[in-house]
Amino acid sequence: MLLPKFDFYEPTKLPEACEIMDDLKDKGHPLAGGTDLLVNMKKKLIAPGHLVSLARIEELKGIDASNGILKIGACVTAAELTESEVIRGMFGALAEGAESLCSPLIRNLATIGGNLVAARPAADLPPALMAYGAEVILKNSSSDRSVPVENFFKGPGESLIGPDEILTYVLLKKPQLASGAAYIKLGVRKTLEISLVSVAVYIVLDSQDGSIHSARVILGAVAPTHIRAPSAEKMLLGEKPSDALFESAGNEAANNSSPIDNFRGSAEYRRDMVKVLTRRALSKAYHDAQEN
Amino acid sequence: MKKLINLNINGKDHELAVSPNQTLADVIRDEIGLTGTKKGCEVGECGACTVIMDGKPVTSCLVLAVQANGRTILTIEGLETDKGLHPLQQAFVDKGAIQCGYCTSGMILSAKALLDRNSHPDESVIRMAISGNLCRCTGYQKIIESIKSVSKYKNERSLSKS
Repeated sequence: MLLPKFDFYEPTKLPEACEIMDDLKDKGHPLAGGTDLLVNMKKKLIAPGHLVSLARIEELKGIDASNGILKIGACVTAAELTESEVIRGMFGALAEGAESLCSPLIRNLATIGGNLVAARPAADLPPALMAYGAEVILKNSSSDRSVPVENFFKGPGESLIGPDEILTYVLLKKPQLASGAAYIKLGVRKTLEISLVSVAVYIVLDSQDGSIHSARVILGAVAPTHIRAPSAEKMLLGEKPSDALFESAGNEAANNSSPIDNFRGSAEYRRDMVKVLTRRALSKAYHDAQEN
Repeated sequence: MKKLINLNINGKDHELAVSPNQTLADVIRDEIGLTGTKKGCEVGECGACTVIMDGKPVTSCLVLAVQANGRTILTIEGLETDKGLHPLQQAFVDKGAIQCGYCTSGMILSAKALLDRNSHPDESVIRMAISGNLCRCTGYQKIIESIKSVSKYKNERSLSKS
């Protein structure tokens, strides 16, 4: 399968990359791991004339945990996310998401920035990032702006990134004490798979009476973008954790979803699985919170 | 416009002029002439094109040759030495893990990458390590047994040294 022809730019510093994007006047397309972009180009779905590789920009490859905020460079790969001690220790649901992304071969190439900008409704990194309240930094030659991941997706394949912008970092605040999180993915296969349904949750327990102080429930692959499940979250607030509560929250989450019928599964089955996965993820997050 | 790149493949440096739209898989096969790396799906889903780049197994069909500039690449051809086949290659042959052979290069390189970082993997870890490499012939059983036998062999060798 041939790739269409394009001009290729390989900046080694971020300001250089922004300048190139500026000069190309909206015709420049950033390239990180290429596991989404190059596939779409091979399938003739898109043919950008100018690719601006971010792969040689060192500052985009780090995971920095100083100052109480986790700053992940956009070119950090899924494999690096699974291997990072600070992410496994403090942001376990993100490590779980990264571990379930495609295959070990793709995980060595695919980047967190690319997974976000591709904006696929079944993508594996957004659910945990939304559960943890993460933000992305979008940069062009004149300014930086931050957007919560929760607001970043417009529709399948569409994000808020501007045509001259580069997604540079993902920022996460340290999770609160007595908090727990989990990510569960359901696919027809156990690996090398696009989610049928995925759920990420983040709950914070009240230090006095152990009730749920705050909760975020994120659903993937059951709407045009990743979504929160507001009625499930509302049901959990102020309540003591229990299997019965988690089951009810699961039922509520299914009402917040709008899955489609496709060759992987029916909408009805997906709605049922939202109930099951939400209940299981809440249970996992609760155990996680008790250990913290 | 072509770019001049340097690829270190199986320990040897190659200086080449490539177009930006040439993939590493195509350059390895067509420019360098190492056809042990196969092209299957060409979209990163089958693993037939697996090579080890800077120590990590990747699908070379989704790596642009220009992105591989300056990097160290190991293909299947790089495993055999003047002492003979690599233990993994020998195990695949001995245990009947090869039928059509098309997945074999990728399977062996994924297995090598695993054993380089974890010499005692249990079966679930082995299965996960090769989960990006599809085989339509063997049903995977002999492949997994071959990889297990090499990890056991590595254990025995290190025991006998002490």
